[in-house]
Amino acid sequence: MTEPLLATRGLEYRYPGGIVALHDLDLTIERGRKLAVLGSNGSGKTTLLLHLNGTLRPARGEVLFDGRPAAYDHRAINAWRRRVGLVLQEPDDQLFAATVEQDVSFGPLNLGLSDLAARQRVDEALAALRIAHLASRATHALSFGQKKRAAIAGVLAMRPEILVLDEPTAGLDLHGVTHLLGALQQLHETGTTLVFSTHDVELAYSWADEVALFHDGTVLCQGETTTVLKDREMLQQARLRPPLLLELAQMLCEENGGGERQPLPRSRDALLAVLRRKLASPKDGGDECIDQPIIML
Amino acid sequence: MLAIDHHAWTNRWCDRHPVEKLLPAGGLLLLTLMLPPLTTGPLVLTSTALATVCGAGVPLRAVLAVLAAPMTFLLAGAPFLAMSIRFTDGLDLRFSSDGLHLALATSVRALAAVSCLAFLALTTPLTDLIPLLRRVGVPAGIIELILLIYRLIFVFAERALTGRRAQAARQGYSRFDRGVRSVGLLAGNLFQRALEQAHRLEIGLAARGYDGELRVLASRCTLSWIRLAAGLGLVGLVGTVGGLLARELP
Repeated sequence: MTEPLLATRGLEYRYPGGIVALHDLDLTIERGRKLAVLGSNGSGKTTLLLHLNGTLRPARGEVLFDGRPAAYDHRAINAWRRRVGLVLQEPDDQLFAATVEQDVSFGPLNLGLSDLAARQRVDEALAALRIAHLASRATHALSFGQKKRAAIAGVLAMRPEILVLDEPTAGLDLHGVTHLLGALQQLHETGTTLVFSTHDVELAYSWADEVALFHDGTVLCQGETTTVLKDREMLQQARLRPPLLLELAQMLCEENGGGERQPLPRSRDALLAVLRRKLASPKDGGDECIDQPIIML
Repeated sequence: MLAIDHHAWTNRWCDRHPVEKLLPAGGLLLLTLMLPPLTTGPLVLTSTALATVCGAGVPLRAVLAVLAAPMTFLLAGAPFLAMSIRFTDGLDLRFSSDGLHLALATSVRALAAVSCLAFLALTTPLTDLIPLLRRVGVPAGIIELILLIYRLIFVFAERALTGRRAQAARQGYSRFDRGVRSVGLLAGNLFQRALEQAHRLEIGLAARGYDGELRVLASRCTLSWIRLAAGLGLVGLVGTVGGLLARELP
């Protein structure tokens, strides 16, 4: 088996003042996956993410990059951040330049690219997030959703292997979320590994390959999305509950007699399709559950 | 200020190269300061107003709003210029014709000069002027400060506004003393949030490889020599006509 791209082992971190923020934290980020760090507010998710690009240094434990302990000297950190892009939750914390184009060009220019190459990266990143039309707009004149996408473009323009996003959908409306997830999905399909924090079980269920259940500064368990989110007790411990979609789907399957489990519907549309089919022919059906891994919410 | 910024980013000339606007505006400003104001002033005022309103498509109301602030200062100050005070036989306060002339000349000159700056401010986003500052050799540190201040003004203006509304919703401004207290609390809160914001901005920048210098791409617009020549031609015209008129009318 190949080494995970990025992992933490026995991570411990204390805030100034000695309060324990993270302890005994093990997390594994496999190449090419979508990992949700799922936990309630204030559980320390952001602190964890700040360890993933070397912003914070653990008091104990280590961060492993390609299986080797990460170093914290200037050069190592630079190389690290080249590969791991971090997008903060609040876009105003990240956008500093006056126009979108200028802001997005910051990262590529820091990589030492020429103006021409940087411009190419900017255009590419803006296109990937479908905001090419905003290139020369003033940063402060953007809507929240647009700011969010501009902030992601700024990190994306550095072509990171892993994109780490802190609560990417927080504060976005349905349109904003759909737009953003569509763009992220496309990135994922071109090979970017995605890690995102969220407190939204529905989002984790519909969109992540893998879930790390996070509570009180540590990862309770990490595994395939459906497996983790079925575990009612474990979720309760993390002050969460299983997603409604999953519970409904499970009920449907049980009513159908269980049988061999087929993939459960992972999206609203997929679930509705099952229900519709069921209502149309109540006798028919047997043990079929839908295998339609629709990604969008 | 927010209105000025809005127009700077949305007017018809906003994509034009900043030098095309900066040089004519600077030229007119120089004329205003050098030539007799009573003849040149109105010419300059008319040309900048026409350029801003008819050329760049900025609403006349916006232009008047920008000029309103200096106008109040002039209205407050001009009467004192027009008066002369003598202390020979007690206090003798009167308007003199010299004084009136001086007050009028100063007001017209000041207004015309401000209109040149208003033209520039209303048609040119600040970010377009920054590369020019860099080219004339302003140190990088100062330019970065300008850039960050410009960006963060809007973040904090927004926060101050929402903070004030939230306070007002809870009766924070229902009495004068409460209002004073609320303003103090808001200021303290904004200061603290500014520090936190700075810290998070640092994290965000570091994640993108910040090494002490904020490098960004310059904007793409190209200088049109024809438009620049037209602008400078206008300056020449105003200068010539203004100069001739000044000779005709003593």
